Amino acid sequence: MLPLYGPLRDLNLLSVVLRMLLSCACGTLVGLERSAKNRPAGFRTHTLVCMGAAVAALTGLYLYLGPGLPADITRISAQVISGLGFIGAGTIIVTKKMDIKGLTTAAGLWVTGIIGLAIGSGYYEGGIIGTGLILVTETWLGTLSSRIQKRPLFILRVHYREKTSLDQVLRTCKDAKMNIVNLQIRMVNGGEEPLYRADITLRGTTKPGVLLSKVEHMPGIEAAAEM
Amino acid sequence: MIQALAFLREFNLASTVLRLLLAMIGGGLVGYGRSKKQRAAGLRTYTLICIGSALSVMISLYLYEMLHGPWLATVEAVGEKFDASRIAAQTISGIGFLGAGIIFKVAHGQVSGLTTATGLFAVVCIGIAAGAGFYECVILAIIIVILVLNVMSPLESRFKRTVRNINLYVEFASVDDIGTIADRIRDMDAQIFEIDIERTERTENLFPSAVFNLKLSKENHSHSAMLSSVAEMPCVHSVQELIS
Repeated sequence: MLPLYGPLRDLNLLSVVLRMLLSCACGTLVGLERSAKNRPAGFRTHTLVCMGAAVAALTGLYLYLGPGLPADITRISAQVISGLGFIGAGTIIVTKKMDIKGLTTAAGLWVTGIIGLAIGSGYYEGGIIGTGLILVTETWLGTLSSRIQKRPLFILRVHYREKTSLDQVLRTCKDAKMNIVNLQIRMVNGGEEPLYRADITLRGTTKPGVLLSKVEHMPGIEAAAEM
Repeated sequence: MIQALAFLREFNLASTVLRLLLAMIGGGLVGYGRSKKQRAAGLRTYTLICIGSALSVMISLYLYEMLHGPWLATVEAVGEKFDASRIAAQTISGIGFLGAGIIFKVAHGQVSGLTTATGLFAVVCIGIAAGAGFYECVILAIIIVILVLNVMSPLESRFKRTVRNINLYVEFASVDDIGTIADRIRDMDAQIFEIDIERTERTENLFPSAVFNLKLSKENHSHSAMLSSVAEMPCVHSVQELIS
């Protein structure tokens, strides 16, 4: 750790310049990764957020240490965090497919703001180590997270005429340790011999293909498919 | 409390590194399970937020060290107006806004994203504890959050399959059929609490629809039996159970 009693820990022209430049650098570093991925918030946005947060933290310190006003040096910094929450909420989009986009961007902006606060407060170690960890998270953990074996939901669609057939399918799903998340039944053909279509939403470790091959040849099942 | 950690409870470079790393690992562990379920917030989001909230507390700790060291003269002249928990407190409200952005309404009065938002909230709180050097609490909280999100999730959906109160979303040919559908439901010894009619006229390809809030009988509480017997009615176009 740098000695606590150094000129860079105090408020003077040198430390103000250093903190603002350092916060710009950290913001740009974090933002470059986002820019490279062509996300909505690129390195300019991140630089602005990080530098702005540093200015806010510096102002909080200045009010107390400079003119000696009875201010809480953390109050301005604190509001930066909730303010960035608002901005982050605005970057989140719900698409027509009911997917959420922009959450990692929002989280990234938020944490970049906190890095700015740390540097602006003179807590260089925290800011620099934090930036390092964020870069590791965004690059290395990013590739790791795309390798995680996901267990997404899938929909098994079966056509049947008798409801006992559906019961059998559902029992097969349960026996395969699959979790039935949702069930929707729709009448396809009315008349003398009605035909129904059931969409079974499932989650679990069994592969859709394995389950499908089991269900396909069951008596009473007219057709089965994975959606 | 564990005494051996005394050095790491102080504010120094070693504890800075340890706390930020702990927050990173904690956020990562919680996020890993969420990534696996292919939720909106995964490994990276959880890790970033946990690091951020840990750092926010450490800013306060650093400033406290400064106020009681180099800046003591100012403190004595102006008076101490410092609250070490203020910055950390705002991380909670900040993440509340983010969470609100994730929660959205899906069809038929249901809500999605609630667990993701609360998961982020929990991870911020873990980050704060990590930043404060409250190591015991962090480790316990990580274990509990992972248990709740991953182990309890299949338990909950299994439980939901056995509960007797269910919501059925039904599309039918005409509004006059509501009575017959209600009769069929009552024939299965179920009790209807509420019928919420969503569409009354047939428009283009959309049938009139309603949500039936009902309680199945004790003897026959299979959800799929109720669904398929309602689906069997000639006037019914489609049936779906609404699961929140």
